[in-house]
Amino acid sequence: MKQIENIPDSGIFLFKSCMVSVEYPGIESSTTYVFDKLGIDYFVSDEQSCCTGLGYYFDLFDQMSTTAIAARNFAVARKNGYNNITPMCSTCYAINKKACALLNSNDEVRSNINSVFKQAGLDDLIYEQNSLDEVDNFYHVVELFLSKAKQIGKLKLKLNTIDFSGVRVAAHHACHYYKIQSDDMIGNPNHPLLIDTIAKSCGADVVEWYEDKTLTCGAGFSQIHVNRDLSLKVTHAKLESLKEAGVELLLHMCPNCQIQYDRYQPVIEKEYGTKYDLVHMNIAQFVALALGADPVKVCGFQTHSVPLDEFLVRIGVSV
Amino acid sequence: MTYVISETLSEYDTPICDTLAETVKKSLRTSDTIGIDRCLQCGACTSSCPAARFTDYNPRTIVKRVMENDISVIEDESIWNCFYCYTCHLRCPRNNSPTQIVQVLKQMAINKGIGLNKLEVLFGYGDAFSEFGVSKIPDLYVGQMEDDLGIRWREFKNNLDSVRSELGLGAVAVKDSGRGEIRAILAGIGFFDRQDLLKHMAKSKSNTVDEKGEIIK
Amino acid sequence: MLIGQYYIPNTSKYEDMNHSKDHVGVFICHCGGNISDIIDIRSVKQEIRSDNISTFDCEYLCSNVGQDLIKTSIYKHSLDKVIIGACTPAKHEKLFKKCVEDAQLNASMLEIANLREQCSWVHPNNLATTNKAISLLNGKIKRIQTALPLIPIQIPINPNAMVIGGGIAGINSALNLANNGIHTYLIEKEVTIGGNSAKIGKMFSPEKLAEECSMCSLSPLMNEVGSHPNITLITCSEVENVNGSAGDFRVTIRKKPRYVKDNCMACGRCSKVCPTYVENDYNCGVKDKKAISMRFAQSVPQIYSIDPDHCIELTGGECGKCRDICKVNAIDFEQKDEMIELDVGAIVVATGFDEYDASRKPQYGYGLFENVVTQMELARILGVNGPTLGKFARPSDNSMPHNIVMIQCVGSRDESKSGNKYCSRYCCMAALKHASLIVKKYPDANVIICYIDIRAFGLYENYYRAVQDMGVSFVRGRPAEVVQKANHNLVVKIEDTLTQELKEIPADMVVLSSAMEASAGTKQVANILNITLSEDGFIKEKHSKLKPVDTSRDGIFVCGTAQSPKDVTDTIAQSGLAAARTSAFISDKVIRLDPQIAQIERSLCNNCDECIKCPFEAISKDKLGNVDINPLVCNGCGYCTKLCSKDAISIAGYKEEQIMAEIDGVIEKGDVLAFLSREIPYATADNIGNSVAEYPANIKIVQVPTTTIITKAMIEHALIRGSQAVLMVEEPTDNPVGSFIYPLALKNFEQLKGELGKKGARLHFKKAYIPHYRGLAETFISLAQMEDIE
Repeated sequence: MKQIENIPDSGIFLFKSCMVSVEYPGIESSTTYVFDKLGIDYFVSDEQSCCTGLGYYFDLFDQMSTTAIAARNFAVARKNGYNNITPMCSTCYAINKKACALLNSNDEVRSNINSVFKQAGLDDLIYEQNSLDEVDNFYHVVELFLSKAKQIGKLKLKLNTIDFSGVRVAAHHACHYYKIQSDDMIGNPNHPLLIDTIAKSCGADVVEWYEDKTLTCGAGFSQIHVNRDLSLKVTHAKLESLKEAGVELLLHMCPNCQIQYDRYQPVIEKEYGTKYDLVHMNIAQFVALALGADPVKVCGFQTHSVPLDEFLVRIGVSV
Repeated sequence: MTYVISETLSEYDTPICDTLAETVKKSLRTSDTIGIDRCLQCGACTSSCPAARFTDYNPRTIVKRVMENDISVIEDESIWNCFYCYTCHLRCPRNNSPTQIVQVLKQMAINKGIGLNKLEVLFGYGDAFSEFGVSKIPDLYVGQMEDDLGIRWREFKNNLDSVRSELGLGAVAVKDSGRGEIRAILAGIGFFDRQDLLKHMAKSKSNTVDEKGEIIK
Repeated sequence: MLIGQYYIPNTSKYEDMNHSKDHVGVFICHCGGNISDIIDIRSVKQEIRSDNISTFDCEYLCSNVGQDLIKTSIYKHSLDKVIIGACTPAKHEKLFKKCVEDAQLNASMLEIANLREQCSWVHPNNLATTNKAISLLNGKIKRIQTALPLIPIQIPINPNAMVIGGGIAGINSALNLANNGIHTYLIEKEVTIGGNSAKIGKMFSPEKLAEECSMCSLSPLMNEVGSHPNITLITCSEVENVNGSAGDFRVTIRKKPRYVKDNCMACGRCSKVCPTYVENDYNCGVKDKKAISMRFAQSVPQIYSIDPDHCIELTGGECGKCRDICKVNAIDFEQKDEMIELDVGAIVVATGFDEYDASRKPQYGYGLFENVVTQMELARILGVNGPTLGKFARPSDNSMPHNIVMIQCVGSRDESKSGNKYCSRYCCMAALKHASLIVKKYPDANVIICYIDIRAFGLYENYYRAVQDMGVSFVRGRPAEVVQKANHNLVVKIEDTLTQELKEIPADMVVLSSAMEASAGTKQVANILNITLSEDGFIKEKHSKLKPVDTSRDGIFVCGTAQSPKDVTDTIAQSGLAAARTSAFISDKVIRLDPQIAQIERSLCNNCDECIKCPFEAISKDKLGNVDINPLVCNGCGYCTKLCSKDAISIAGYKEEQIMAEIDGVIEKGDVLAFLSREIPYATADNIGNSVAEYPANIKIVQVPTTTIITKAMIEHALIRGSQAVLMVEEPTDNPVGSFIYPLALKNFEQLKGELGKKGARLHFKKAYIPHYRGLAETFISLAQMEDIE
């Protein structure tokens, strides 16, 4: 089982996410900003591809193709000497972790993929059994933050940045981080508290429990496209519950959830004839802000659909 | 109805077995320890399920039908309501996973040409991935999103490159050499064959394919 | 430490005798055709019979007729030694030993040839099989000619018993033992005995529909314990260490101070003047107790105690009000931990259960919402001496809950890491009992039980039917979540799986039927006593049917919820059995140990101290500097025989000349000799027979304590006799003997292989596992076939 004490802070292969890149690039710049502040040794590669997670859960990609692409990305990490695969997206996390488990335990999968590599003349991609460990080499960025929560808190005090007290913050943990390989998550998967703990270390007033805390965001991969009404019903249910709990800022750890809440909150407001006094951030954006990052040049809040300007002014951040 | 296509891939996600439960257990999509045979029909999955809350989808009865080897379950429209949120997987006291089972059922449906209308709109994803090595929201949905998300989003998307460079970030796509590798891998593994066949099936609106993958009119 | 005496018989008179003139009786069992259908018993008898060897056969030797035949033949024919050809010795060796002892022969004057599991069941009906039977019997005949009588080692058993844990199981065990005349120490970690059953208010029973008052049953028993002349009750105490072994344990107890001396009159003045209120864990943590208090009115012993974490005086402040008011000067702030050493012959573990921590299922809101409680807490709430003094009230606002929803299997029947796989066995009945108590007293209350299966086994079904008749509702399904709405009201989200409806059931109070888990104390005590736990954390019984209260260690017994989840009725039945087993064990007065252990011939010993390297620490030096073997610890593995360069140590019954003699009789040209260690490997070979698998008849098995006793001389002897190959099969590493012996046995094998030079190629080594009998059979087959090629 994963132990918080054993989370590494070096050899981090920061695994880029498709939806971070094209929807909320500020999550990536915020993550590297915080990593730099914390002295974390990480690497970002321009050779790494997407994990295919969206395609996999669109029912387009099969497990073998997804696993082959993962094996290639593991080789990219290996080549650069950074073997702790650490995504910003929960689906990247789960997809890569499962691919690694399959490559280690299923001889047929491994030899099939390795022979494809050989035939294509890509011998340097060949995956050696157990060259990565599906538990010890896979982390989500939020776990790294959690392992450094105390340091973040101290640093924030030192920098004397924003006072979050009185801001009602809540967390939406991403399903694919804590429900798929639930034995390897940190904490109790029926009441995840990673984001809450990090936010508290930054002095936020955290609403740890609210109704439907573990309900999915509603994006459901193809659901928001193919089954739009159903998708929005789920998001609406959760937004209602957050309203009931008086939450003002919802923190995320997955770009897909953030799209669903931030992009579609105005749509839901229009379609359901309601109004939410709620803004959204990724936990990396929140921590970066807490450590003095520029809301535009680092956090990239200008890419959000629910404007943060008013909120930022209220907590004393000049935009 | 003839059983399908690109066997090099479907044998892994939907291996042909005597029973549906065996196919589920042997599929690469499901965990090795999946407890389908031990299902208690306790309903923890259904009561935890966001799709069941709003539709007639019932993961418990889906599992029951798989256990009873009721092949018609793959034609049940309700399986397309699953969010893949894995709450059933988390809450199941028997280590069973309705959401993984549904993934296998959907792959079986697709092999038979069922539900391709839901799939074909997403094909753009595979194309973009194989071209750039990154994922992309399928073009067919961008229009709906533009309508939904309005001008603020459209402007941001138009300025994506400059926003990224202001944030100190480089190109989105994988660099050229990498893209070649990705295409070679996907070709070698049989992904394109399968994708092409699915496109072909979707286009001809045919439900049946013979052993060679030829559409039966 | 050892009270017993290790007995080495004087063997000189036997050495003078010419054993070949001894009259040997060979008895062959037909086993109702199991043996006689395959082996031609008539030709076996013909072949073996000689001047001083008489042969007999019988349909069933294990029957009364068969036993009589053995006994009367010993007298009638003046037999000196007995060979039995029958099923595996694992089956009836004890019975046949008793037979020869009844006829005044020493038990070591008996040898058993395994003609069933290792002959008739594994070979076809042909001449080779009959010939193998003859050679197996010949081996035993030759071997027994070298046998010396062994006298069983006897150790006196300490007549006192100890019961660990003063719940209903421990109380009942201790009383049963004490009433049987056995002096019993009852050790309890709390300030009073009573355990969990003192908390539950009312109990259900199989034969009646009315609930019984728990304390009314328990309190008289507790008082009896307190006053019984044969019971020494030691409270506030935990077992810290245990030395010795069955019949002779030395237990170290740590007794914590209660800061009140035994002369306390229990007048209660101290508690009245005490200014500090503390959380009362007896009453769901309500702050209704003083820092000096009695746990509950019926506590035994009736002595107050001080909570050192909250007492002002003991936490460094100045108070002393209780000391000042006490008329008998019972308050003693100076008390310290006290260590007590006790010698006992047997131990009963009755360390009970802990209720599963329901906050490990946060989706049900325990620990998050005040009005979510467990069944154990509800028992307190409903109890007249509970936190609400019997008023049925919910925690958030003390109002009477109208809608009560109970959730079954919380932490039970759950494969996830936060649950337990097993059914906790008591919770269905506990939920029914509480539903019944509520509805009887408050007919307007609406009780709904969410269940997966209602397990009202046996006569409890009557109670279930009665509760159904009262109007209690049942919804079949495992709820997803409990949600809190305004005013601390709750909603239970569930699929009614019988109607396929998703329901949101409103509840003023939710009661979780939390699993029963092995208590922390159970795990701690099991560790100290070195007894085995089951996968689920309970103490594992030796055999669920034949030895249900014996643990993995002789002389230590278990009962109640320390052994598995169970209700009070079953606990009392089992604790009675544990007392009966303990009592029987102690009444034996002496413990007879297997004599086939290491023995030292001191005249040959040069005190080189090599044998002290015994991995089981059975060998040490006595005060005079002589090598001393502890018969309680020695398991007769034989490793020490390898360490001794003077041949001063041997295993009784397995001396080199005995093995050589057996090889002499058994091995013929072309045979494969298989040395099998006596526990797992021998049983694995038997299992080949039990499973109707086959291997060639030229495989000849000779049992050894472990393969470490095998010498170069033995192997060379077998090869000279014509053996084509020699196989050594050792205990697996996960067996208590194998874990130490396996590496040493492997080393011995490698050394022998080296010493044998070219012939070493014919020596093979393997370990065995009982379920993997096929692997052993395949090895047999391949060795037998390999020799064909040569």
